Amino acid sequence: MEKDKAFMSEELKNRTTTRQQQPAWNPCGFMTEMSTNELNCGTEQVGNYFFNPNWDNSMDQSDPFESALSSMVSSPAASNVGSGENVMMRELIGRLGNICNSKDIITNSTNVSCYSTPLNSPPFSTDPGFAERAARFSCFGGLNDPLRDSLKLSGHVNGSQTINNSTLSRSSSPENAESGVSKEESSVSEQLPGGNTKKRKSIPRGKAKETPSPATVDAKVAAENNDESNAKRSKQNGTVKASNKEDSKPPEPPKDYIHVRARRGQATDSHSLAERVRREKISERMKFLQDLVPGCNKVTGKAVMLDEIINYVQSLQRQVEFLSMKLATVNPKMDVNMETLLSKDMFQSRGLLPHAVYSMEPTFPFGYQPQQGLALNNGIANTTSQLGFQLPQVNGFIDGNPQVGSIWEDDLQSIVQMGFGQNQAQCYQGSIAPGQVKIEL
Amino acid sequence: MNNPHHLNPTSLKSRFTTRFLRALTKIRAQKPISSSSPTEIFRRYRRIKVAADKSMAYSVRSRRIWSRAMLWKLRSRSYRRQDPCSGRRSGKTNQAIMKKSSNGNITRRREDGVGFVEEADELRQLVPGGETMNLCNLLDETAHYIKCLTTQVQVMKKIADFYSF
Repeated sequence: MEKDKAFMSEELKNRTTTRQQQPAWNPCGFMTEMSTNELNCGTEQVGNYFFNPNWDNSMDQSDPFESALSSMVSSPAASNVGSGENVMMRELIGRLGNICNSKDIITNSTNVSCYSTPLNSPPFSTDPGFAERAARFSCFGGLNDPLRDSLKLSGHVNGSQTINNSTLSRSSSPENAESGVSKEESSVSEQLPGGNTKKRKSIPRGKAKETPSPATVDAKVAAENNDESNAKRSKQNGTVKASNKEDSKPPEPPKDYIHVRARRGQATDSHSLAERVRREKISERMKFLQDLVPGCNKVTGKAVMLDEIINYVQSLQRQVEFLSMKLATVNPKMDVNMETLLSKDMFQSRGLLPHAVYSMEPTFPFGYQPQQGLALNNGIANTTSQLGFQLPQVNGFIDGNPQVGSIWEDDLQSIVQMGFGQNQAQCYQGSIAPGQVKIEL
Repeated sequence: MNNPHHLNPTSLKSRFTTRFLRALTKIRAQKPISSSSPTEIFRRYRRIKVAADKSMAYSVRSRRIWSRAMLWKLRSRSYRRQDPCSGRRSGKTNQAIMKKSSNGNITRRREDGVGFVEEADELRQLVPGGETMNLCNLLDETAHYIKCLTTQVQVMKKIADFYSF
């Protein structure tokens, strides 16, 4: 009976169009078709089973997914399946580690991110992945060709693979098209009828995070992926959120939830999964911070890292205070405006600008500073005629700067910068003997 | 060789530089530098420090929680300069930030289950607006805050060097 549960899937909803009124879905019969292997697939192979629990015979085929699914979900309780089966199914689902939130199904949450419950998913046929999946499931007896084509067990939680709800319809009717339901990238769970020994693997490779919810039906997404072998089963009582971690193979489409898969040997209740996700996020950020803070590479341990970060932030703040104190005390001989400062940035690679002017030091970086300054002035002079800043540079660049600065401030911002660019290109020719620097008056 | 030294006008650095320089010139214009009494210098120092923080916060706008917190703090400070209760102010800051922060739960002590709550608290005090963040966001904000602080320090250093010669 456990198998029955395995096949409860929200994907039922997908059967809107193709759904056919099936007689009371016979779980037992269904089970027989299931190979025990599939059902008891190992932890690695969490199958997302598609099945078509068309329990509600009265459901109208034209019902939209949501209503169909919800009715289907609720129908078990009322249908002959009975609550006992639900329980068993839940257990089975838990065993298989599939995640689907029946509650989501029931509640028709639009943002169902559960693998298998795209409540508001569009019809199947639109899903190319679905076609792919369907092709794989040749054993789907009840599925019509288009549905089968669209049905596809995708091992990956692929948002594009909209197949979330795979509903196996034992009957010939391919109700359970997996439609774009899997918008929320639930893994497709399909059930292979007819003794199909296809392996069901959990599609989502990421960590499964489930939210507790009274799921009456757990949808299982069967991932046929071999790579999914790493995926662990997670007991899913509620919506399964799979986070698109690096280990999930396919790029997951944007989801409303973060899907997480439980790791092997770890607790699978939703709280611990959520905790794990949080911890991983935090460690990600700690790694990033480690790169940011110098000297943190050797540090191991989060607490020590945090201490380092705190020290670094404190030192930076103190530096800002110290520099502002310095700026308060310094006596500016000139007006500093943006352009000069920007030009300083340009000069930064060549060392400090002021040094070069005063001391014609025979050092390389300083050597060409004056020339640059002169070139700058030349550039300025070339561009404008009324610049009075062609002062004797004997006083040094700094003294000449105020005029330059003020003039620049007025009009020549862009020109200056252009001049800078040009002049720098010209001037940056290599070492310049200080003695050769000429001062233009 | 061509050095691509043209600054990106939209980068954080240039934005901050522009604002800060403007503020600096304003501060300088207010008082003549000639007066060198310690009190004057101290006052100017405070003003410059505030201007630096303000420029940085404005350069970041409201994109970050810490910048919003800082802006809020600055505004409230300017409005209620004589208000001696800083505690009340910080409480209001928390309130204001809480609305904007995605993480609303600041009332309870954050036991994140990761085991370093003391350091996290210290960090929260350092980063403006940190009280309202959970550890995850706090680390994010810290990273961005560090980046902005380093930019600030760089620019101010350059200015100071420029001035001092």
